[in-house]
Amino acid sequence: MKVRLFVIIGALSLLALVLLSDLAGGDWGRFGDGLRDFVVFFNESMWPPDWSVLEARTYPECESRLEFTCSIGYIGMVETLKIAFVSTILGFLGAILLSPLAARNLQSIWISIPVRVLLAAVRSLPSLIWALLFVIVIGFGPLSGVLAMTFYTIGYLGKLQYETFEGMNSGPIEAGRAMGLSNRAIATNIVIPENSNHLLSQLIFMFEYNVRHGTVIGIVGAGGIGYYITNYIKFFQYEKVFALLILIFIVVIIIDLISLFARSFVNEQGDVRRPTWMNLLLKKTEEKSQADSLK
Amino acid sequence: MFPFVYGGEGPVNTTLLSLSDLVIGYDEPLSDPISLTVGPGEIVAVLGPSGIGKTTLLRTVANLVMPLGGSSKIHVEPVGGLGYIPQNLGLVRHATVAHNVSLGAGVRMKWSFGMFAERRKRVSEALAAVGMEHKASEPVRRLSGGQKRRVATARTLAQQPKLILADEFLSELDDTNATAVMEAVFPLLAKGSSLIMVEHHEEHALKYATRVWELIDGRFSDLSVQAWKERQVGGEAE
Repeated sequence: MKVRLFVIIGALSLLALVLLSDLAGGDWGRFGDGLRDFVVFFNESMWPPDWSVLEARTYPECESRLEFTCSIGYIGMVETLKIAFVSTILGFLGAILLSPLAARNLQSIWISIPVRVLLAAVRSLPSLIWALLFVIVIGFGPLSGVLAMTFYTIGYLGKLQYETFEGMNSGPIEAGRAMGLSNRAIATNIVIPENSNHLLSQLIFMFEYNVRHGTVIGIVGAGGIGYYITNYIKFFQYEKVFALLILIFIVVIIIDLISLFARSFVNEQGDVRRPTWMNLLLKKTEEKSQADSLK
Repeated sequence: MFPFVYGGEGPVNTTLLSLSDLVIGYDEPLSDPISLTVGPGEIVAVLGPSGIGKTTLLRTVANLVMPLGGSSKIHVEPVGGLGYIPQNLGLVRHATVAHNVSLGAGVRMKWSFGMFAERRKRVSEALAAVGMEHKASEPVRRLSGGQKRRVATARTLAQQPKLILADEFLSELDDTNATAVMEAVFPLLAKGSSLIMVEHHEEHALKYATRVWELIDGRFSDLSVQAWKERQVGGEAE
């Protein structure tokens, strides 16, 4: 079994290398040159990051006591987070309505196949193209971004959800079906609660994905921090671009930590009470004071 | 998966299940054609070595597997009339004990203002019957194997089905707990429900069974407990 697995992975890796060579036109030297050029470009144009993006803009005048809240970085990031949050929630609601209809273990093929085709159609357009379409229809601004990412979220999350439902243990579904529960009751009372851990994880992953993609849809004028990144690129202000990229990276890490915390409520890991740093420190202090009193 | 085969009222209202030349299996037949009926208040123990097709028989009766031949008809209400406890118990692990039991309690309920109070009452009664009321708000994943079995039993008790199909639901339980679980089920059986249980532990099953279905090497036998015991003694003597 192991040998067969290694042979398959080896064959796939070899195929990937052959295709890469074909795509690069057989000129492997370009990779080395490219890397060298990137190092030069990074040192000369991007480093050090220009943190003036976190200082208040000169116009319009900042009325807040916290000047940081009037900076390009803050305004762009908050707008991106708002777009990502709204579109993730709306997209999740759309997906959770459609995905039980697309799961083969919950519906007949007469229902599941058309719903799958619908989700595939929505998903086949990248969020950037959706954003472009909505910018044309609605105009520039965050609303186009929200609609674009909502549609993409429905398609993407819908697929993740119905594949999760199809992969679940059949026992609870069979018990529900044998007792005569309807498909709707099985989906809402058995399938969704049983997969809550995965659904929550996918929801937070999608939020993180939408935050990162908020930078891309800004390129076509659909709002968010991407709008400012595009402007800085146009004016060759790569140090500022790099500072905004670091900001996005920090936000993504924070979302990842929130994800870890939120999921601990619905998985076995959360059932194990782990000591927090605060508990450890307090315990140490208590032990020390007890030891002192004994002396 | 497959449409629920509702056989209508059983012959002279005394039959809960009727099998007619039923051939079980996935690709290859696992048994001879089986023809029998099950009446109210019966406790059937399905016995036989591992992998012989006991679970397949139960799943076929529950209409979760298409039979290779013949027919299986359940003469109970299509909604809520059949209770099924699969081998892995079929509990929603990330939901609470009360949620799992309420699935059984609510299956036949029509929407009304008093529905929620009625459902809560049934859930607490079923949990009390298996001694699990103190765990009502606990997620199922935190329970031990034995506790999970009691929750699955409580779900069936709350459902009040006419026919119960249970796949090894007494295994993993010690004698005391197995007795407690069976005692919780007895009131339901006294009302005319029947229990068909696949059991690996013959001792557990024969303690309560009124009838034995034995499946060995594709041969199906429908025997009284006494006849089954005599056959065992005869087999040992040979």
